Amino acid sequence: MSSTTVAPPRWALKAEGLGRIYGVQGPESLDGTGPDFGTAVSPATGAVVAAWDIGFEVEPGEALGIIGESGSGKSTVMRCIAGDETATAGRIALRGVGHGAVNIRELDPPARRKLRLDQIAVVYQDPAAGLNLDVTAGGNIADPLTAAGWRSYQRIRDRAADLLRRVEVPLSRMDDLARTFSGGMRQRVQIARALANEPPVLLLDEPTTGLDASVAAGVLDLLRTLLEETGVAAVVVSHDFGVIDMLTRRVVVMRHGRIVESGLTDQLLEDPQHPYSQQLVAAARG
Amino acid sequence: MTSPQHTAPPPAPPAGVPAGSVLSVRALRKDFTLHTIDGRVVDALNGVDLDVAPGEHVALAGTSGAGKSTLLRCVYRTYLSGGGAIWFRTSGGHLVDVATLSDAEIVGLRGREFGYVSQFLRPQPRRSVLDIVSSAGVARGMAREAARDAAAAALRQVDIAERLWDMHATVLSGGQKQRVNIAAGTIAPPRLLLLDEPVSALDPANRAAVLDLIARLEETGTAVLSVFHDLDAIERLATRVVVLGRGRVVATGRPGDILRDPNLPLEVAR
Repeated sequence: MSSTTVAPPRWALKAEGLGRIYGVQGPESLDGTGPDFGTAVSPATGAVVAAWDIGFEVEPGEALGIIGESGSGKSTVMRCIAGDETATAGRIALRGVGHGAVNIRELDPPARRKLRLDQIAVVYQDPAAGLNLDVTAGGNIADPLTAAGWRSYQRIRDRAADLLRRVEVPLSRMDDLARTFSGGMRQRVQIARALANEPPVLLLDEPTTGLDASVAAGVLDLLRTLLEETGVAAVVVSHDFGVIDMLTRRVVVMRHGRIVESGLTDQLLEDPQHPYSQQLVAAARG
Repeated sequence: MTSPQHTAPPPAPPAGVPAGSVLSVRALRKDFTLHTIDGRVVDALNGVDLDVAPGEHVALAGTSGAGKSTLLRCVYRTYLSGGGAIWFRTSGGHLVDVATLSDAEIVGLRGREFGYVSQFLRPQPRRSVLDIVSSAGVARGMAREAARDAAAAALRQVDIAERLWDMHATVLSGGQKQRVNIAAGTIAPPRLLLLDEPVSALDPANRAAVLDLIARLEETGTAVLSVFHDLDAIERLATRVVVLGRGRVVATGRPGDILRDPNLPLEVAR
């Protein structure tokens, strides 16, 4: 970073020209891929262009949706931002890291992992991916706190209790193993854990997919409230317009690894422009 | 997708935009390309001009399909316009083109400066009546406590019984939803209020209460652009009527003159 003071950006998260190719890197793998060609697989090299030229900004207190069918690359984008995978091109910046002047894609793995302590949190579709099921609910929440340097047992316990209260998990279950929780309750514990260190960026990957409708509704309500109250910048990845409509104001549509359209969520639902978005909306409307 | 940092105010006001107007629509076009139906193109607006000043209530009239609701939706940016400009003067005095502002900037404008009440309220699921109305106040800058009080007052005004306030809006009747929506649209009156058939589902008593509420907005300086089915409401509320036909302005004038003109294509039989 330069010695001059950099004004912090408005956004909390910015992705620019983000790409992830499996296989041969380079322009020869891009030709013949994308929505215009109906495939993400390079005819020349066989490489899979899972995501390419992905760009967006998310401001604090805002939720951006990424919608698309399976294989569109939406989860790849999320994993690249989370650091679960390494993007092969482009730039990812966080306001909380060097005022947005650092491309976190280029950080070394330990520095990258450290961001997951207090800068970026993820709620996965499968609670088992975000929780240790053989540890208690309280222990799962304590884990990121101790990793961030919390030492006092009582303070950690109080904080865990606070978080469980916020996600509406009965405190009487704090010392039960996560494995003994229902799917919806596990998801709530995962959300509590994600919020433990008050990360400025929260990534939600199909957070209610796989839950019964009534349970999913409860988790969505909780997420909506938390997004409104915490001022976190959120990215919500889903194939479900209901989820996107409820949690986000802006959305990008992905297909075959590319963004085909971006807009306001209600505009995308009422006046989709791209042929694929129109198909997607028509299908969702039934 | 680019969403520029909030930049310098847009270029100097274009010629022909009145200094006092809140909304100035210029040469607005909108068509729909239906890719799922052989790429068919349906045109809806073919070059619309209109201005709305603070405290003014401009009612759109015209037969069904003339483009009235389409125009409102373009102004709210639920529809992307296909040409022309939608100049909006913010409360800070900046002139912005709603047609080309970034999505993020539109989100901000909608919260702070626009109200939109449509005939089809699609309330957010599992959200209480009081919460819907008070959140609209908070978005327009009220403190949470004050917004709750104002929401309570607004709900009383449109005769929503207190026992309904903590219920989810989705379970209300069509007429109740519409009244909740109007309460949310008028609390902490926005700078621009878009009304699309806001009394269509109401019985006469409630209709009168809502029309009263809208009439009082004139004092707050809110600019109103509306679509009403019934000409009585237009006659009572509008300071000016703009008649659309096939996506164009075919007449504009005072309600008394326009509504009695036998040659204009108005929706309802006189």
